[in-house]
Amino acid sequence: MHNSLKIALIVILLMYIFIILKSVKKKNMRINYLIFWCITGIILIIALLVPNFVDNVSKFLGFELPINMIFSFAIFIVLYLIFDLTKLITKEQNKNITLIQEISILKKRVEELEKNNKKE
Amino acid sequence: MKILLIIPAYNEEENILNTCINIDQYNKNNNKNIEYVVINDGSTDNTLKILRENKLNHVNLIKNLGIGGAVQTGYKYAYENGYDIAIQFDGDGQHDVNYVEKICKPIIDGQADMVIGTRYLDKTESKFQSTFMRRLGSNIISFFIRLFCGKKITDPTSGFRAANKLVIEKFAKEYPTEYPEPESTVQLLVNKNRIMEVPVSMNERAGGVSSIRFGKTVDYMVKVVLAIIIDSISFRRKRRKK
Repeated sequence: MHNSLKIALIVILLMYIFIILKSVKKKNMRINYLIFWCITGIILIIALLVPNFVDNVSKFLGFELPINMIFSFAIFIVLYLIFDLTKLITKEQNKNITLIQEISILKKRVEELEKNNKKE
Repeated sequence: MKILLIIPAYNEEENILNTCINIDQYNKNNNKNIEYVVINDGSTDNTLKILRENKLNHVNLIKNLGIGGAVQTGYKYAYENGYDIAIQFDGDGQHDVNYVEKICKPIIDGQADMVIGTRYLDKTESKFQSTFMRRLGSNIISFFIRLFCGKKITDPTSGFRAANKLVIEKFAKEYPTEYPEPESTVQLLVNKNRIMEVPVSMNERAGGVSSIRFGKTVDYMVKVVLAIIIDSISFRRKRRKK
């Protein structure tokens, strides 16, 4: 790998780790997703620091070019992640619908009770 | 028998008051006590103001849910307040309150769990037979429901339907919110509930805009057919698990 490319990647990686640590501190991400991002980060670090790691693995798996392996892995992971997220969105949407319905019915009951109380 | 009309309303400021007055009038003239609840689905016009000023019985959804979510709110309301029959009723003047008795009869007699008011069964009955495209769409949906559930439903998209206590409870717990009419029909058929159709007459919309627009028809058809297939599989699995 080119040295300048390596430096650029290391800088990006450091920023990546910084962002992850920040969300650990703020607790604004579910552990499940955090684990996923951490593992991705670790793999990236290994790929950068171990010499010829990417080349050897791609040769071992039978890819013609290392970049092919990186792209296909990245696409599969992104696809999986999007699938998981659409599933999650649907689940959250359903919960949302139930919440809105229950709150609206409750609100009506509260209003009725308040009205009755005033009369008495 | 406690009967409830569920009236979903989204931007129905022109029609909603008339619909409710018609119901009150019908009750007075026929010495009946049919109650109604308007579900205001986050309307952006004056619907809520009209409901409040005229003291019409209503539930105000705090956010817009779409027709399915609104109707399910009505079923939840019916379930919590112990109604025997819940009837979906449009707030735009399409449905005629005079048919309520006819649509309730099979349920009172214990012949059906859900009754669908159908436009197409009797040609002389309905003034408003709807357009060719709509009928074609209905026929296609009808064909697929028959294919996957083995029963012919001539008007699967009709929004005029009555449900008994059992179905009210079922819908309060689980109701398909994407394409509610055909999907809920499949849900009941797969669970071996008895559905019956009764010919009714429907009017043309008195005002406002229909929720189904022409440009979206093909898109709608494809998704509904998919929904029917998926539902018939998933509801069957759920039933087996029980």
